[in-house]
Amino acid sequence: MIITEGLTKVFDAEDAETVALKNVNLKVEKGDFITIMGPSGCGKTTLLNILGMIDDADSGNYSFLGQEVSRLSEREKTGLRKRNIGFVFQNFNLIDELTVWENIELPLVYLGWKKQARKQRVNELMDQLQISHRKNLFPVQLSGGQQQRVAVARAIVANPSLLLADEPTGNLDSMHGEEVMNLLNDLNKNGTTIVMVTHSQRDATFSRRIIHLFDGQIINENINKLL
Amino acid sequence: MLGNFLISGFRMLLRQRGYTFLNIAGLSLGIAVFVFIFLYIQSEVRYDRYWSDYDRVYRVSTEFSLDGKVENAAMTPFRLAEELQQVFPGSILTTNTLFTDPSDVNDVYSLIYKNEVYEVPDVTIGDSMLFRIFDYEFIEGNRETALIKPNSMVISSEVAKKIFGSEPALGKELKTSIRAYTVTGVFSKQCTPSHFVFDAVVSVSTLSEKVLATHRNDWFRLSWYTYFKIADTVVTATLDKRINNYTSEKISAFIKENGLQIQGYTLFKTEPITEVHYNTSLAYDSPSNIDKSYLRIFGIIAIFILLTASINYINLATARSLKRAREIGVRKVLGAFKKQLMLQYMSESFILTFIAFILALSMVELLMPQFNALVGKDLTLVSSLFSKDGILFGSLLILLIFLLSIVSGSFPAFILSALRPVSVLKGNNEIVGKSWKSNFSAARLRKLLVSIQFFVSFGMIVSTLIIYQQMNFLKEHYLGFNQKGVVVINVPQDTTYWHRAPDFLTALRASSLVKAVSAPVSLPGYTHGKRVFYVGDTNTAVLKTISTYAVDYEFFKLFDIPLVDGRFFSPELKDDTTSNLIINQAAVEYLDLDTAIGTKFTMPQEISGEVIGVVKDFNYSSLHKKVEPLVIFLLPKRSKYILVKIDEENEDEALAHISKTWKTFNKDYYLHSTFLNQKLESQYSGDLKMLSLFIYFSLFVIFISGLGLYGLSSFLIEQRSKEIGIRRVLGGSERQITFMLARNYLTLVLISGLIATPLVYFLMNNWMNTFAYRITINGWDFALGILLTLSIAFVTVFIRSFKIVRQSPSLSLRY
Repeated sequence: MIITEGLTKVFDAEDAETVALKNVNLKVEKGDFITIMGPSGCGKTTLLNILGMIDDADSGNYSFLGQEVSRLSEREKTGLRKRNIGFVFQNFNLIDELTVWENIELPLVYLGWKKQARKQRVNELMDQLQISHRKNLFPVQLSGGQQQRVAVARAIVANPSLLLADEPTGNLDSMHGEEVMNLLNDLNKNGTTIVMVTHSQRDATFSRRIIHLFDGQIINENINKLL
Repeated sequence: MLGNFLISGFRMLLRQRGYTFLNIAGLSLGIAVFVFIFLYIQSEVRYDRYWSDYDRVYRVSTEFSLDGKVENAAMTPFRLAEELQQVFPGSILTTNTLFTDPSDVNDVYSLIYKNEVYEVPDVTIGDSMLFRIFDYEFIEGNRETALIKPNSMVISSEVAKKIFGSEPALGKELKTSIRAYTVTGVFSKQCTPSHFVFDAVVSVSTLSEKVLATHRNDWFRLSWYTYFKIADTVVTATLDKRINNYTSEKISAFIKENGLQIQGYTLFKTEPITEVHYNTSLAYDSPSNIDKSYLRIFGIIAIFILLTASINYINLATARSLKRAREIGVRKVLGAFKKQLMLQYMSESFILTFIAFILALSMVELLMPQFNALVGKDLTLVSSLFSKDGILFGSLLILLIFLLSIVSGSFPAFILSALRPVSVLKGNNEIVGKSWKSNFSAARLRKLLVSIQFFVSFGMIVSTLIIYQQMNFLKEHYLGFNQKGVVVINVPQDTTYWHRAPDFLTALRASSLVKAVSAPVSLPGYTHGKRVFYVGDTNTAVLKTISTYAVDYEFFKLFDIPLVDGRFFSPELKDDTTSNLIINQAAVEYLDLDTAIGTKFTMPQEISGEVIGVVKDFNYSSLHKKVEPLVIFLLPKRSKYILVKIDEENEDEALAHISKTWKTFNKDYYLHSTFLNQKLESQYSGDLKMLSLFIYFSLFVIFISGLGLYGLSSFLIEQRSKEIGIRRVLGGSERQITFMLARNYLTLVLISGLIATPLVYFLMNNWMNTFAYRITINGWDFALGILLTLSIAFVTVFIRSFKIVRQSPSLSLRY
């Protein structure tokens, strides 16, 4: 599903260059659940952003579903992303002006789904995630765990083949964190490919592969033997 | 999808109430003022556009020069209308009406019906063609025949209603003390603004043959307004040429026939009737005429006001872009295209503009009575929307909603949609990389836009200061005569009055509350005549056109006009009434007389006279004009006015005395009186109206700019709250930090002020040049303008920064 070869990303500051990623080669198969770990500033989020096509690498190749991403226009990338990739963020990034229901509906709006179809899909998903009773609330009226459940629902509403999660439990207490991880685990079991960035060893145990990044390079890769 | 945009846009506006309020308040105020100005301008450009074939109706004015000085008057000789028939045989309709002083508000006719006296303000004399050119709707009578017979009178529906109530007016008899008129028509004046206003017309055939003959025979007696409607087959580009080719021969023949020794020329000029309202260059013209440049200035102000309001929106929206950046990021990640995001911001801007419009129109409807009182009109929003050009107004409003939404919304939309999601989704406020650039340029743009607002505010403040001082100067300026406590009474112009006049004047003088009484034909602030004189001994006499006054013995004493040379008129000397006259200093200077006393003035075909005295110059016209040469005759037995100088401390009693005496002697006439002071001030009523409009508009511009600045600075200061906290911890005083926050704006004020100064100076100097008596523009006005603009900017920023600067740094540094 994903193949990267020699991905490199450099940030230019006024007087110094920071190498965020250096020669990253990564292969993600359909149905994988991969965790990327490493200390702060090692390039985890940068890698995730490039995989999600909201940032570009400076050099190297990135092929997503057989298409070379660097050759796509901004518009094509947006199209590819909204059809195939869902995002979950550490700080949830729900839109405060929209209700829970409308937040979840949003990706379908951008995909151009018909209203009736959107309604059916969102309601079905909310039932499935047991958040239907909160559909008319606004994000500020929810706890962190509840917000992240909504964020996950929004990420998967359009049935993406890939889910990118950036520290999905980072802002949650352990109980709510576990709930979210169980949810991701279930999704993976049902066939969604997941790439997750985390600091948490516990969260990592849910994944099949763990990749360690250090100073922008992959230093080792483990298969999760617990699974 | 649009529904989704509108929902989130609506909720955003609800959640950020302060921001929404500032935006809507500024926008709706701006739009309201714009609509007011629009309605005003619209009402001014509608003049004389309701006559059928108005584009083929013209008025004739006269340009003449007899002594090298060119004069222009709205009037023509009586016979011109007839002669025009010869110039354009078969293809012209002409009419003329007698001049009745349009600036004399008290010149009112008294008409008697069933022993009741009614007053009719503007009565003119016209021929039967009048209502075929000015084709008012006729409610009663026949427009083509109404003014044919002698003693016919056509009245307006208002007058008819006042006198006859709901009864038909046609055929009824209206009397004056010397004549009886038959009402032959009633016309409706509704919705037909015109420079030419009358409430009743008497048929010209009513005039005696003798009077008509003197008018008909004389090419130099300019006392008629002439209008014509020409067939569309006539080439209008050469109208003037064809008329003057014909008339110049006739005039030459007239001069020869009468043995006149006149050098110089007389030219007739035509102007489309729709342009008359904007012509302020002619003597004896309608006082409602206005200078078109005022309309242009108001148009520019209207655009400035909209611009100011839009700038507020752009500034607030771009300043807030940082707050909204996260939302944009999320939407982008979820697959929104740039276009969709732009559309979203446009739709928000549309919602705001739409709400502002609704509010603005309500405001306009609510404040319309006050605005009408201010501009002296009778405008309504509804009538504008449903009038002839209502579609234009309606579509302009709709266009404006879209234009404002696009102008105000496009920049924020552009900036916001260009943000890169990767940089805004990290949850911090810093936007790095590419978007830093757009943020930077947004800041620059904001500065530029705020500078434009300061530029406009400063310009309007300084202009207002200067205009205000000039108007005050005119008010305080000593006119060369004492007008205090002088009551002007219009007297009936008929022979029965002349018999009563001496006893009436004596009765007026009988009270100790009356200090002086004079009964002149001419007085300052009112229209006066001009005559042609030969000045000097018969052999060396030169022809001069000079203004004339006719007064009585008491005139100079009543006004405290001092004598410079010779003597005043005296009742003991009989010659004074027939052959002596007094001139002013300007005449001495103009005629270059070494010894004025004894100089001969001869009028062609009329009396001649000798100068017996020279009086000091007094401003008998408005201060727009310098004091011109003046020849004053004695005419003690006839008068148009009575001047009563009263004891100002007992004003009420004195006025009661006048009113009582009037009733004793003139029971068939209303008393029409006014204080001369008020009449003189009304010479500047046009200027004053413009001034008050200008002041109001300035206040709005300044207020709207202030509103915007307040909003903008609050966002920017809030954004800097962390920096402010750090500075406070490091020892910065409240004053230092407040000044630091305000400094940027203060610099912008100074720069905009400097750029605006020469422009304002140029425009104001041009305006003041329309006054012969004017103040000089002072550097202090500009300094004060800068100071005021600075204070407004500083106070606005201060109100907002005060709270944040004062709050404990621990609050802003917590996160």
